[in-house]
Amino acid sequence: MMKRLLSSFCALMLLVSSSAFAASDSPVETIRDGARQVLDLLKQDNGKNTRQVRQQVEALAVPQFDFQRMTALAVGRGWRQATPEQQQQLSQEFQTLLVRIYTSTMTRYKGTQVDVKPNPILANNGREATVKSEVTLPNSSDKKPVSIDYTLYKTAQGWKIYNVSVEGASLVTVYRNQFNDEINKSGVDGLIKMLKDKNAAVTAKGNA
Amino acid sequence: MSRPIRTLTAAAALLLAGCANTGHPPNPQDPYESYNRTMFSINDGLDRTVIKPAAQGYRFITPQPIRTGISNFFDNFRDIYSAANNLLRGHAEDTLNDIMRVALNSTFGLGGLLDIADPAGLKNNKTSLGDTFASWGWKNSNYLVMPFFGPSTVRDGTGLTVMLAVKGPEHLVYHDVKGGPYIFWGMYGLSTRERMLDVTNAVDEAAVDRYSYIRDGYMQLRAQQVGAPLPKPSDNGLNDMDIDELVAPTGAGNASAPAGEVAKPAAPAVKQPAASAPAAEPAPAH
Repeated sequence: MMKRLLSSFCALMLLVSSSAFAASDSPVETIRDGARQVLDLLKQDNGKNTRQVRQQVEALAVPQFDFQRMTALAVGRGWRQATPEQQQQLSQEFQTLLVRIYTSTMTRYKGTQVDVKPNPILANNGREATVKSEVTLPNSSDKKPVSIDYTLYKTAQGWKIYNVSVEGASLVTVYRNQFNDEINKSGVDGLIKMLKDKNAAVTAKGNA
Repeated sequence: MSRPIRTLTAAAALLLAGCANTGHPPNPQDPYESYNRTMFSINDGLDRTVIKPAAQGYRFITPQPIRTGISNFFDNFRDIYSAANNLLRGHAEDTLNDIMRVALNSTFGLGGLLDIADPAGLKNNKTSLGDTFASWGWKNSNYLVMPFFGPSTVRDGTGLTVMLAVKGPEHLVYHDVKGGPYIFWGMYGLSTRERMLDVTNAVDEAAVDRYSYIRDGYMQLRAQQVGAPLPKPSDNGLNDMDIDELVAPTGAGNASAPAGEVAKPAAPAVKQPAASAPAAEPAPAH
């Protein structure tokens, strides 16, 4: 009983601190704090509480991203063809997909070491920043660290991530051609349906 | 090199000729798309039925330290090729680095089973013949799916084929063992595939169309590695800088919103500029 009380208290504390760092005014601190908290959270995974830890990771990570902007970046020019409702639906589905990728990657690589570089590359009069980091994977025969770059922009709620690149390949724009092909073939609604189907398929597979 | 590879290459050439003008509409970013997709699905079938299960079995029965040793052993041979390529590129320092790696790992590293060069500060900077071609000026090359080896470009595939045709140092290891080449290359393939398992699982989860996800990811990655401009997406443009035209920066009106809920309030703020954007700019061409 005490234990449960304690863990819910910890979860509460995490939520409080996560909203504190979400308003951080330095892009490097945003990434550094976020990475540290997610990694700390993952250490609590003891094999039995995986689902719970995943949910907490999600709750911690989601406010750090701007999914609307990410979706627009992924879709590219086709974004303008979409009505506000379609844009909303696209963002919703793309967010589901990305969040799932994020949490399962993080759970897969728990014990990872993240080294966030102090000097971000600023653009657009300091309103955009690319923060570089090097990630060393545990238990891997590749000891070479993987470089992961985050592109953030400044909002009233602090810095928000809208692009992530692994070794220079963007995890967002990698979808551009796939999305465009689908929009050209069956319109924006076709793309929404495709993403819905994809999410449903992954969910079904995950629960099996 | 060995006969199976030559047969595969010949088969690929035939396929390339056969599929050159069927199926998909031409994509300027991927002129061999119909051949590539065919080869991709052949590779994929082989992977699903044989290679991936074998790699999973290999992971299941061998402990991590042994797998690392085996992977280091093959890595040591790749360092020899890397040294040769850095020499061809005229990168003296990297050549020396690679030679020192091989020397250290082959001796104190027990024939390459241990990678002691890495902790000793000799960086792992594998350079392939494709990289050499790129540094000679062949920066842009079209996407090409190689039989068996998967994602590549015409440049990197040419490099790989040349490398496989050369009787390399690994020949000394297996030349008097019966079936030596098959064991050597089979084990190399298994070890490589095992190391890729996590990546391919992540791709399966992420990709909507796996062919184009792998292609576009690979092409971005390679462009970055060889210092070529990033490939243009098929919608012909939109740099990261233009993103403000598509989605106005959010949050001007909701400074008071609790930080935890930013993802949702962001949506309404975007509606206006997104709706008015088409009026400001000419409609996108198709």
